[in-house]
Amino acid sequence: MTGLGVTTAVGRGKADFARALYDGSHRFAVMERPGRQHDTRFVGAEIPGQVTPGRLTARELRTSSFTARVALTTLEEAWEEARLDEVDGERVGLVVGGSNLGQRELVLAHERHRDRPAFLRPGYGLSFLDSDLCGQCTAAFGIRGLAHTVGGASASGQLAIIEAAEAVAAGRVDVCVALGALMDLSYWECLGLRTMGAMVPDRCADAPELACRPFDQGHQGFVFGEACAALVIERRGERRGLEDYGTLSGWSVRLDGNRGPDPSEDGESGAIRGALDRAGLEADQIDYVNPHGTASPVGDRTEAAALRACGLTGAAVNATKSVTGHGLSAAGAVEAVATLLQMRRGRLHPTRNLRDPVDGGLRWVGDGGLETEVRHAMSLSAGFGGINTALCVSASGSGSVR
Amino acid sequence: MRKEEVFQLVVDAVREVLPELQDHAFEESDTLADLGANSMDRAEIITTVLEGMDLDIPLVETFGPRDLGELAQHLSEASTTGGRVA
Repeated sequence: MTGLGVTTAVGRGKADFARALYDGSHRFAVMERPGRQHDTRFVGAEIPGQVTPGRLTARELRTSSFTARVALTTLEEAWEEARLDEVDGERVGLVVGGSNLGQRELVLAHERHRDRPAFLRPGYGLSFLDSDLCGQCTAAFGIRGLAHTVGGASASGQLAIIEAAEAVAAGRVDVCVALGALMDLSYWECLGLRTMGAMVPDRCADAPELACRPFDQGHQGFVFGEACAALVIERRGERRGLEDYGTLSGWSVRLDGNRGPDPSEDGESGAIRGALDRAGLEADQIDYVNPHGTASPVGDRTEAAALRACGLTGAAVNATKSVTGHGLSAAGAVEAVATLLQMRRGRLHPTRNLRDPVDGGLRWVGDGGLETEVRHAMSLSAGFGGINTALCVSASGSGSVR
Repeated sequence: MRKEEVFQLVVDAVREVLPELQDHAFEESDTLADLGANSMDRAEIITTVLEGMDLDIPLVETFGPRDLGELAQHLSEASTTGGRVA
């Protein structure tokens, strides 16, 4: 992986994001973006200020959704770092992780035109499609190899990485960018997610800084966090003189055959073992796990049990969502970026609000973080509808098989 | 609605959809194509003007005019004769 981009509420760009991770800072508050509340006090982390991508004209900017602005800005960071302008656009691909990405702006458009539907702007006919993001990104960056979206609920970001890796491994393109897109929730999605018990209750608005607590006994559900990340994946040995963040040594996708939101220890364990197998690694070779860790009580316990069942008791574990919140479609990509940045730095970030871990048998990284060399790491995602994904990431020169 | 008023709505809409034309001195002989509007921009501009006029007519009925002056004239006439004024 030769280029990374990241935009979150706590940090925009890799340096800013890494600083926030190590500081354990947060931006959790009652959300204020138009269309996010409806006699509610939903807590979340919102990206502050304007996000203005460099490659768009004023005309293009006017019709760009918030999701697109953040995507184009994030993609640009990864693109420039990997110097992809040097690569033939026919050999570059893009996989966008996420579906139903622009709900908030759709709701605002519906409200604006409810009594005057005849005057709905024609641009709606393009922008309601998630694949509009593919159109915008391929136009702005000259990507011509492939571009499509993949949906896997909260595993979408990691699924995009896996699909991008498969596209490169199969030779469909030489370079493929995986983008975990920002899922722009409206108050309707927040209501649904809260009503089903996945998102924290409104009473968390009284102390937003304490609301997001993955793997802590006091966890009450996930807290939304606006986020987006991009990773440039290319074949090993064809890095064009660029410094590599690490090698994607293994990956796996497992389905539970379950429509619902419930996690499955078997499914998560299956994904972990599948990724280890593909990487040719044993569990005790994994130095660090970046888990899904949403702060859902059943989700955290199930994941902790899966880590234990797979023999990952020796690996250090922290929870990036304790800092960023849950980026939903973006989460898997954001956490892969967090994993790679920590591997390069040799330091793991603290887990905010982890006072009383749900499982005493795992190596949690609490306050202060942890200085440690990471040769092999895993990052895990899971999504509604019974999808489990796992990645193995290995440091360059670590003797990994792929 | 008088043609002069419609022309001003057209100019406002073009400036909204094509922000780079903020300082352009608009003439009735300007065409949307020459101003750099693609087909989506054109549809956005016309819809914006129609909403400003409260005039609900199919977009296809706005395709004849060759320049901004003719467009203003056409929509002005539609607002008093052909179009259903909401």
